Amino acid sequence: MNRHFWQTSPKKFLFPFFLLFVFLLSGCWDRKEINDIALIRAAGIDKKQDGKLEITVLLYVPKVRGGSEQGMEGGGGGSMQTLIRSAQGKTFAEAMSILQEKISRQIFWGHCEVFIFDEAIAKEGIAEHIDLFLRMPEFRERSQLFISKQKAQKILSLISPLERDIAEVVRELGEQKLGMTVTTKDFAEMLVSEAGDTAVPWIKILPPIEGQEKKQTIAYITGTAIFKRDKMVGKIDDSVTRGLLWLRDEIKYAVITVTPKDEKGYVSMNLLRANSKIIPKIKNEKWEVILEAEAEDDIIQNTTNLDVTNPRVVKSLEHQLNVQLAKRVNETLKEVQKDMKADVFGFADAFHREYPEIWKKEKDRWHVIFPNVEVTVAAKIKIRRQGMNSVLPQFPKKEVKEE
Amino acid sequence: MLERGKISALQMAFMMNPTILATGLLLVPAITAKTAKQDLWLSPIWASFVGFIIVFIAYRLHKLYPNETIFEYSEQILGKIPGKILGVVFVFFYFHITGIIVREYGEFVSVTFLHHTPMVVVFAVMVLVSSMAVYGGLEVIGRCSEMIVPVLLVLYLSIFIMLFKDLDTKNFFPMLENGLGPSFKGSVVLQSWFSEFILVSFFFPYLSNRDKGMKWGMISVLSVMVYMVLTNIMSLLLFGKLTASLTYPVMVAARYISIADFLGHLEVIVMAIWVAGTFVKITVFYYALVLGTAQLLKLSDFRPIILPVGFLLILLGVWSAPNLQELSHFLSTSAAFYFLSIQVGIPVMLLIIALIKKKRKQMKGSVTG
Repeated sequence: MNRHFWQTSPKKFLFPFFLLFVFLLSGCWDRKEINDIALIRAAGIDKKQDGKLEITVLLYVPKVRGGSEQGMEGGGGGSMQTLIRSAQGKTFAEAMSILQEKISRQIFWGHCEVFIFDEAIAKEGIAEHIDLFLRMPEFRERSQLFISKQKAQKILSLISPLERDIAEVVRELGEQKLGMTVTTKDFAEMLVSEAGDTAVPWIKILPPIEGQEKKQTIAYITGTAIFKRDKMVGKIDDSVTRGLLWLRDEIKYAVITVTPKDEKGYVSMNLLRANSKIIPKIKNEKWEVILEAEAEDDIIQNTTNLDVTNPRVVKSLEHQLNVQLAKRVNETLKEVQKDMKADVFGFADAFHREYPEIWKKEKDRWHVIFPNVEVTVAAKIKIRRQGMNSVLPQFPKKEVKEE
Repeated sequence: MLERGKISALQMAFMMNPTILATGLLLVPAITAKTAKQDLWLSPIWASFVGFIIVFIAYRLHKLYPNETIFEYSEQILGKIPGKILGVVFVFFYFHITGIIVREYGEFVSVTFLHHTPMVVVFAVMVLVSSMAVYGGLEVIGRCSEMIVPVLLVLYLSIFIMLFKDLDTKNFFPMLENGLGPSFKGSVVLQSWFSEFILVSFFFPYLSNRDKGMKWGMISVLSVMVYMVLTNIMSLLLFGKLTASLTYPVMVAARYISIADFLGHLEVIVMAIWVAGTFVKITVFYYALVLGTAQLLKLSDFRPIILPVGFLLILLGVWSAPNLQELSHFLSTSAAFYFLSIQVGIPVMLLIIALIKKKRKQMKGSVTG
């Protein structure tokens, strides 16, 4: 009897076999129709007075765009493409389920690219929320994190004049890399690093120009919130953040302006590329770090009488750039290393990499060692070219100083 | 012989590749990172020695008994009753391990995509498809993998390439912080994956170019090792210390890809690799199980038991672990010794006994002759 299921004459079995497909008609368990889900673009987490958590989400409202009638309606100021809803709860997860009660479509987190925490939450610690973002399969590890001065709800309710919605604005600003950019993955990685201190970009609402509608504005990145472990301990402003970026080798774009010695006016330079490296050294029990920074610049503005085509002038400008950079970095170190005592530069990891043996012994004393780590800046900034026009037309040649 | 089909040695290499890699790619980085830390990329290199040894042993046994699979020659080597007992051990082992693989497959699919679909359905669909492939016999499985595997390998490399800009080589250091020890420890679990290469002993008798069996077997081990090293390097450079705490690092890595703002959300690639890869893996194990059972019971054909065995596999998928935590705990602790003792210990023992027997026979022959 060598007749088996697949071999037996098909006709006899075909009909009952097809009948089985009837069960499939009811659909599958996990179908997600695009018109049944609510796409979340950004989420904000605020602390309420009673200690509860309030999450606010920005939903994308799918609408027919470009249709002539709708287009006319939307004509005035940016048409409502988004919607915000909020809910409260003890934890993010609880608030999330309460939020679902208020939204007729199933919440879908896969496109949530921005998370905004308000200052009060940040001071309490945000690791518990990051835990959820990394645990739930729907959340993406590339979502960017921000700490806001104002309530996150307020920020999400802004109507962006330029981009599709405020989430896009904040995300694009983060992508510009003028300040720090921190994704959920980066944050978690910093948390499990040797020092465990973290930093997240700080955003605040840009005050609208007078006469404009109050909500017609955006939030922008203006500094960095510094965390010890996951608790915010302070914030640094934009210019100090630049120093932080140099230390973390995250600097991408910059315009550096210096005032040459014995001169009036300024010379501004555009940063083309930059690389920095921290080199740890332990000499006679003294812990040191050397920041080696290399960069290339173009001159973009010169309001002094200096002749920037002269190689010797360029040399002295380069020197001043180096001094300027060292000053920047030292400002950052003063605020973050000495005052806040948070190792967001990755010094601990650098020492661990370079001196694994010593590190093993001294690991537990890091919080004592860190504020006293001496940092030397060894900057090598090169000016590559003077721009398209070498001498300003309004300065007669004889006034231009040779040196 | 129960199987009349023939496959080429190259097809065998293609079959074996996802048979080891499919589940390995997703789980290996996290499991090895727990013990090996930043040296996790060394672990597959150590572990691959087991693979090379196993292929060598299987080939030597094959040379001694050219037309038989491990089920048949174990009876010849050990005698009737012990050989049968060994066969029973193997059959139960393959039942268990295939059940675990089915479970691993279902776990991943239901955690990442099909949250609400009952896992049994996920198992059943895969086992049904595999059973069709097994029904087709070895040639069908061979050709299937010949088609699927190159695509998988290229897709997988593409993930690596697209992540290139997010990788940070600093994470390599400090290299060998605590000597070679941690990376050896990390390789113990990996060895259980490489020990699965004993499956080649089911295919050697059916190769059309038997002389190349050894060569392609070794190449297959090598390619698995290279891919595992690449996977571990990718996870290490992308996640650093975070690797150990992620359940499926490669999955997260794939969806971390974002190129020029529009090329992103690429976890679909991982899913394609996973489903196609585990299909080959389950099919190969399923085939070995069915063929072995038929040989053990001296059936005239292995096809009648395909569906009943498939049904049992679905059940074993459900029974093999109550939850993911237990499953990965089992895989990263006792499983290594369990898999190694059966997939390495027994073949080594068989080879030694077979060689002694052969020596004796030769000596007897020389005495009488």
